[in-house]
Amino acid sequence: MSTIDLTLQIWRQKNSDSLGNLQTYTLTGISTDMSFLEMLDVLNEKLTKEGKDPVAFDHDCREGICGMCGSVINGIAHGPEKETTLCQLHMRNFKTGDILVVEPFRSRAFPIRKDLIVDRSAFDRIIQSGGYVSVNTGGTPDGNAIPIPAETAELAMDAAACIGCGACVAACPNGAAMLFTSAKISQLCLLPQGKVERKARALAMVKIMDEEGFGNCSNERECEAVCPKGISIRNIARMNREFIAAALFEG
Amino acid sequence: MWFVRFVSSSIGKKVTMALSGLMLLLFLCSHAAGNATIYMSRAVFQGYADELHSHPLIVIVFSTGLFLVFLAHISLGLLLFLQNRQAGASRYTVSTRVVTNSLASETMPYTGLCILLFVLIHVFGFAFGPTGEMISDTVKRLLGHFFYGLFYLVAFAALALHLSHGFWSMLQTFGVNHPRYNKMINKLTYIVPLFFLLLFGGIVLYFMTGRGASF
Repeated sequence: MSTIDLTLQIWRQKNSDSLGNLQTYTLTGISTDMSFLEMLDVLNEKLTKEGKDPVAFDHDCREGICGMCGSVINGIAHGPEKETTLCQLHMRNFKTGDILVVEPFRSRAFPIRKDLIVDRSAFDRIIQSGGYVSVNTGGTPDGNAIPIPAETAELAMDAAACIGCGACVAACPNGAAMLFTSAKISQLCLLPQGKVERKARALAMVKIMDEEGFGNCSNERECEAVCPKGISIRNIARMNREFIAAALFEG
Repeated sequence: MWFVRFVSSSIGKKVTMALSGLMLLLFLCSHAAGNATIYMSRAVFQGYADELHSHPLIVIVFSTGLFLVFLAHISLGLLLFLQNRQAGASRYTVSTRVVTNSLASETMPYTGLCILLFVLIHVFGFAFGPTGEMISDTVKRLLGHFFYGLFYLVAFAALALHLSHGFWSMLQTFGVNHPRYNKMINKLTYIVPLFFLLLFGGIVLYFMTGRGASF
């Protein structure tokens, strides 16, 4: 088993109201088989034993599907490996002597709660405004009652792969949430069940996205490059079409 | 009102930028077509300019419209630049761009301001130039200056950089993004700026190098 020695510079911030700063920690003998979060666990055990406050960071499933984890490692959301969440980023991507600057996902719409934990409830409010289909209760519908072309189903599934981690916002030079919102709008508007409310949905979700304080998209493509689920900006183009059509004829 | 709501939304602002950008691109095409007559001869170019200005109504309507489109594109561009700087700039101690080849997209506001400076100098040099002088003489006199010509070349380079992001970005904003056409669009986003750079730059080089002395 190979091990590495690292220097970490981690953003420490007591709470939303206090000012934060970077603090330096050194770790030796980190197994390259560890994930990034396991490396942070090792650091936190060390800090706890020393009677210091452990680094607060978000995590849940640790298998890359829940969207809870995520930090900016040396300026790249979720770290240097493509299409990988922070929990699936392994320490074999780093080498002895590396200095890793670990910062929280930053955006005006994502206030920092503590250290690396940010409040991403702005995403929840975007979803609440239209990220659903209204289905009246009744008997269980037949699964094959509505035929859907395989290609459409695949495109909807590609968009639905979004885990809402917020890396797109963190990486966007303007702090825009276009990739997230467009993935959610695409996932529903592509399918027949979601077509009924597509116009109202596009208008409502974009309105809330703007109100939450996300920036404007200037097509820099950084979101697509860091997305752990490989969501394409083709979804943003689709959202633009949805929104333009809705605003011209509905809104 | 629906229109105000649309234009003030984040996507509406993008669409307004793209739409005004498209109009400016179309103007650039017509301007390029007119200027290309310089490559034929002095007589053809002068004939084109005289013909155009023998219809003052067309000139006034189009130049006023162009001015308004410019105003919309520039003021909205500045607004977006300021808003986005507030929302995003210098958030991180270490910031890394993952996208390679991001020079054009990063420098849009700056190349835009270069183009504005150029347009001001160009309009005051040519459109509001000395009255009574034939336009072909004005072209020869101004572009014959080495530094004047050099400034034009630098401005055309800024224009080419601006367009290399602008063209693709405009189509993306209009929702044109499909695997069948993306390869072609990716090529066009370099071919279109290069076309204008060669066409306009060639005219400047023609006079700058002294080859146009007998024009």
